[in-house]
Amino acid sequence: MAEEAPGGPMTEPTLIRLCMFVYMGSWVLYLLHVAFRKKAMGLAGDVAAVAGLLLQTLSIGVRWMESYRMGIGRVPLSNLYESMIFFAWTIALIYLIFVRKFENRLLGAFVMPLVFLALASTSLMSPEIQPLVPALQSNWLAAHVITCFLGYAAFAVAFSLSLLYLLKSRGGKGAEGFLQAHLPPADLLDDYSYRIITVGFPMLTLGIITGAAWANEAWGTYWSWDPKETWSLIVWLIYAAYLHARLARGWQGRRAAWLSIIGFAATMFCYLGVNLFLSGLHSYATG
Amino acid sequence: MNINRLYDRFSSVRLTIFLCILLAIVSIVGTVIPQNLTAEQYSNLYGQGGARLVAGLGLSDLYHSVGFVLLLCLLAANLVACTSKRLPRTWRSLRRGASPPSDTAFENWKCREAFVCSASAEEMEDRLEGAVAKAFGKRPRRKSVEESRGQVLLVEKNRYARLGPYVAHVSLLAILLGTLWGAVQGFKGDLLLAEGEASSEVWLRTGAQRVPLGFQIRCDRFVFEQYPNGTPKEYRSEVTLSEVEGEAIKSGTIRVNHPFTYRGITFYQSTYGSLPEVSLRVRDRAGGSESMVTTRLNAPFLLPGSLGERAMVVAFQENLRIPEEMARITSSSNRSLGPAARLVVFNDKGFDEPFWVFRDLPDMGKKTERTHEFVMKDFRLMPYTGLQVVKDPGTPLVWMGCTFLVIGFLMALLMDHEIVWVAGEVAGENEYRVRVAGRAVRHPGIYAARFDRQKLRLRRGLSQWLKKPLGDL
Repeated sequence: MAEEAPGGPMTEPTLIRLCMFVYMGSWVLYLLHVAFRKKAMGLAGDVAAVAGLLLQTLSIGVRWMESYRMGIGRVPLSNLYESMIFFAWTIALIYLIFVRKFENRLLGAFVMPLVFLALASTSLMSPEIQPLVPALQSNWLAAHVITCFLGYAAFAVAFSLSLLYLLKSRGGKGAEGFLQAHLPPADLLDDYSYRIITVGFPMLTLGIITGAAWANEAWGTYWSWDPKETWSLIVWLIYAAYLHARLARGWQGRRAAWLSIIGFAATMFCYLGVNLFLSGLHSYATG
Repeated sequence: MNINRLYDRFSSVRLTIFLCILLAIVSIVGTVIPQNLTAEQYSNLYGQGGARLVAGLGLSDLYHSVGFVLLLCLLAANLVACTSKRLPRTWRSLRRGASPPSDTAFENWKCREAFVCSASAEEMEDRLEGAVAKAFGKRPRRKSVEESRGQVLLVEKNRYARLGPYVAHVSLLAILLGTLWGAVQGFKGDLLLAEGEASSEVWLRTGAQRVPLGFQIRCDRFVFEQYPNGTPKEYRSEVTLSEVEGEAIKSGTIRVNHPFTYRGITFYQSTYGSLPEVSLRVRDRAGGSESMVTTRLNAPFLLPGSLGERAMVVAFQENLRIPEEMARITSSSNRSLGPAARLVVFNDKGFDEPFWVFRDLPDMGKKTERTHEFVMKDFRLMPYTGLQVVKDPGTPLVWMGCTFLVIGFLMALLMDHEIVWVAGEVAGENEYRVRVAGRAVRHPGIYAARFDRQKLRLRRGLSQWLKKPLGDL
C-alpha cells in the first residue's frame, strides 16, 4: 500500500515526529525552569505541552480519517504503533489536567521524557494502516484500550510523583539538595501520588473488565489465564496492595512510594514485556 | 488459638497486603512457565529433572492447583472477615451521624479557622448560614441553635462514600462465587460440523465425555472471507437449531465476536478447516459379498459378510509422502503416494494393526491376508466449522459483581467523606466569634489545600462584619 498515496499515510508519521519535537521542547523548557527559577519558562513548558497535545490529537484524527479513505474505517487503537501513540497522548493529557492543581512544574521535567520516549519508540515501527482481523472487530476494542491506557498513564504520572517523593524524603546536598528545595512538601507529593492512583486503579479495573467481556464474546471465556490477562491481574494486585498499604500504619511514605514504582514497572511489563517475552492472545506487538 | 484471635488475624489489613503481593508473585511464575503442556514438552524445555519438578509442584496448571485455589480461598476469607467486622461499625456510625464537636476539634484538627465579627447573635444567625453555604458549596445543617447565644452548623459531603469499600469487597466475593458456580454447573466443549451436518451433543474439553445439548444444531453454510491482501476478514457459520429429531426452531449466524445463545448455551466461532469424506469399496474375500461405504474420520462401519467386525478411518492424508529414509530403501524417485486413508479393523475383543490404503495404488489393498479387501475409490474434503460450546450459569453473577466493583471503587476512591463544623457564639458586647474545623477521611493533604481556599471564601463572605479587616488577603 506504500505506493498508494504519497500524501496519505505519510502525513501522519510526519505529524507525529513533529509532536515528538514539541514535547521535547516542553521538557527542555521545564528543565530550564527548574535550573533558572524563571516562572515564564515553566509557563512556556506548559504552552509547548498543550501545543504538543493538540497537534497529536490532530494527527490521531488524520490517521482515523485516512483509514476511512482506504476503506478500512476503524479507530486507530489496534496495534503497537497506534497504542504507543495513544499511551503518549494519555500521559500528556493526564499530566496537563493534573498540573493545573499541582502547580509545580518540576513534575513536568519528570513526565515529559516519558511522553517523548513513547513517541520516539514509534519511529522503529511500521506506520502502515492494517485492516482488522476478525478477533479485533469489536465495539469493545475502543472501550478496552481507552480505559487500560488511562490507567497506565495515571500510573506513569504517579510513578513520577513517587520518584520525586523519594528524592524529597532522602535529604541531600548539591544538585539533589537544590531539587529538594524546589519540591512541594513530601506529604503533599505522597498524597498526590495516592490521589492519582485512586483515579488509575478504577480505570485499570474497567480495562480488565471490558477485556474480560470482550474475551467472553470472542472466545467464550472471560478469563483464561493468558499471560496478558495474568499480568494485568498482577498489576491490579500490586496497586490493590498499595491502596491497602495506605490504611495500615508504617506503610505510607517510602514503602508506598516503592510499591508505586514497582507497580509502574509491572505495568510496563504488562504492556510491552508480555508481548516481547511471553506468548499469548495479545499478539499485536509481534507484527 | 482461640476463635476470636483467628478472626482478628483474618480481618487484618496487613493480611490483605500480604495476600495481594503473594498472589502477584505466584501468578508471575505461571506466566514464565508455559501452562498445560504435555510431560514430553516440559522435558524438552527443562530436562527430565525440571519436568518432574514442574509436575511435582503442580506448576503445569498453576492457576487451578490446590495451592493457588487455597490462596484465593484465604483472600476470600480475608474479605469476609474484614467486611463482617467493620461494616456493622461503619453502618452504625453513619446512621448516628457525625458526633457534635467538642472544643478539641476547633483547637486540634489540622484544618481550622477562627475569627470574630462585630454583630449580634440574631444578626449573625442567617448571615453565617448563607456565608457557609456559599463558601463550602453546600447548605449546612443546623445542629443546635441557642437563642441569643450562638449556633452550630455542619457541612457533610459524600457521607456514603464510606460504604464504597464494602460495596467493592462484596462485589469481589460475588465475582469469585460466580466463577466457582460456572466451574461447577457449566461446561465447555467443542463441536466440529461439516456443512449440512447436525449434532445434538458436544465433546467436553476435559476428558472424553459427551454432553447432550437438549436440541440439535446444524451447520447450513460456512463462509471465510479475506481482505485483498490476504488477511482474514470474516469467519461466519450459518446455523439452524431444531428439536432433536423434530422441527426447526430458529436460524442464526455465528461470527467471531458475535456468539449465538440458545437455552443458556452459547456457541462461539472458534476454528474452521476441512474434513475428509472417503469412499471405499469393501469386499469379503471368503463370501464374496461387496459394499460401497462413504465415511468420515473415526466413524465405525460394519464390514460386509461379518457379524461383529467393524472398521473405521482413523487418519487421512491428501498426499502421503514416503519418509526420506524409506525412500532410499525403495530406491523410488517418486515419493508421493497420493491420497491415503489409514484404516483399522476391530471387534468386541480389540483392534487389529492399522494400515494404509491408497487411491492411486488400488492393488496394494488387494494383496492382503486380511479377511476383507479395501479399495479407496475417491475422497472429498468437506469444509467444517469449529464451534466452541459454553454453558456458564455463573456469568450473570460475575458481570453484576464487576458492575458493582467499579461503582464501589468510584465511591471509595474518588469521593472523600468530608466534615466541616462551624460554631458561632457570642464572645462579648457586639462580638460574635466564628470557629471552623474540617477534615476528610481519605486525602487529608489535598483536602487541606481545598480547606484553605474555602475558609478564605468564608471570610470574604463575611468581610463586611469582620472585626479585623481582611488585610492583604
